[in-house]
Amino acid sequence: MSMKEEHIVELENVKKTFRDFWLRPTVAAVDSLSLTVRRGEVFGLLGPNGSGKSTTIKMILGLLAPSAGEVKLFGLSPRSIAARKKLGYLPELSYLHPFLTASETLRYYAGLCGLSRKEAASRTKELLEMVGLSDVASRPVGGFSKGMARRVALASSLIGKPELLILDEPTSGLDPISTKEVKTLVKALAAGGMTVLMTSHLLADAQDVCDRVMIVNHGRCVAEGNVAELETSLEEFFLAKVGDVQDFQLAPFLAAQNVTGKDK
Amino acid sequence: MEMLSEPLSLLLLLTALVIEVLAPVLHYHQFGEAVRTARDAGFSALFTCGIAFAVFPTIRVFRREMETGTYEMALAHPVSRCGFFLAKSFGAFLAFVLFSVTVFSVALVMFKGAAVGGEIASKTGTIVRVYGPFFVFGVGAIILPLAISAALNRFFRCRFVLSSFLICAVFSLCGGVASGVMLGEVACKLLPASLLVSCPAAVVLFSAAAFSVRLKTNAAASAALLILAFSLPAMDNYYRVESLARGGSLPCLEVVSAVLFALPAVAAFLLFGIYFSLRRE
Repeated sequence: MSMKEEHIVELENVKKTFRDFWLRPTVAAVDSLSLTVRRGEVFGLLGPNGSGKSTTIKMILGLLAPSAGEVKLFGLSPRSIAARKKLGYLPELSYLHPFLTASETLRYYAGLCGLSRKEAASRTKELLEMVGLSDVASRPVGGFSKGMARRVALASSLIGKPELLILDEPTSGLDPISTKEVKTLVKALAAGGMTVLMTSHLLADAQDVCDRVMIVNHGRCVAEGNVAELETSLEEFFLAKVGDVQDFQLAPFLAAQNVTGKDK
Repeated sequence: MEMLSEPLSLLLLLTALVIEVLAPVLHYHQFGEAVRTARDAGFSALFTCGIAFAVFPTIRVFRREMETGTYEMALAHPVSRCGFFLAKSFGAFLAFVLFSVTVFSVALVMFKGAAVGGEIASKTGTIVRVYGPFFVFGVGAIILPLAISAALNRFFRCRFVLSSFLICAVFSLCGGVASGVMLGEVACKLLPASLLVSCPAAVVLFSAAAFSVRLKTNAAASAALLILAFSLPAMDNYYRVESLARGGSLPCLEVVSAVLFALPAVAAFLLFGIYFSLRRE
């Protein structure tokens, strides 16, 4: 297998500029971003809010077309059916049809993946057991808690036995035990040969799971490297690279509230 | 299934029930000319309103997917945008056609019942406004599925709207067979008569589907209702049902022209919808 074939995801000088109704550019979400994800690795795409992570993922999924540059998934266009057959996707929010039961949801996505009825039924059973939702398989997901819905979404991302799993904030909305289980699952899937591309705000989680990370800010890559080779914690590395991102202006607020910010 | 899960679909079902209960009861009352005209216009408007009501679930089927993100989730799977749009559009249309054929066939049986009742009244002098078995069958075809669905929902947690729709369709099929025996030639006219309803409905519903890919709910609904205004020949479907029940015939040319009107319009809206789907970000 050549090196080229080992690259599951390739982005080359990709730009994405959103435009308004009159086609005037409004936001440059991604700017000259290049990245590669190799077969079998767990790749973390990290960055503060609004840094272009989700836009990048949507371009990899073929949901958004890049304004410039090239995106390749398994060496193909991300919009090609052949490329998306090998893909599993867990979005940041669990987008589920509220009127379908957990079991129906998985069978629906199994159908979209082209699984036969028999295959879909056995895979549904297997995955519901894996995420611990067998008991509530016949309940509509509209009545599920956020964590339960997240587990259904995770199971649905694995229904087609993907080669590449894209996880957008996989532990969002999960309790600490479920978070730990998801991390164990990601490690197990990677050990089984699956390639994982994930975004996370929880840097400790990314450090536990990822082999390699890229930090993006304002749509540009600011750092990329192997987690094992970091001399500091990922959090310190992140802060050093991204800088002091001040979305919140807390100091004036705390001063007005007469709070010093020191521990009592 | 999404289409049927919309509360409006249930409203549509209940509206049909009201129409079917009221129609034959009012049908052979001795009204003055002005009141009869108002009654006929009212029923015709209700037929058109049925199509207008169906526009909203169709739009919601698309808009809800897009607003909640399930559209993106589906497109991340190995499905083409074009195929996804076509599957959704035809699914919504099929649900409407099944529903309209159900209501249409029951309505036909009810009107025939009223006509038979009228004949008995004129022959025997007995005031029989509605012929009993037809009335029971017509109303039962709606009420019984609703009752069975309620029981299934209560005891087996089956979805009420879905099961009521499916049972209605089964009853309709049985009704079609039964009416074939009872009504003879009238039942044979059911399909072409349904085509007259389905053709303008197809144009309106496919336009709603295409617009909803590009526009938000209100704008898409306004555009689709504008298309409905151009499909107003559907307003006189009520008179056709009545004439069929009286043993009248349906001019073949009328059915053919309805189909010829619908086909290019539906094709155009499907192409628009596919184009909008491919361009959508």
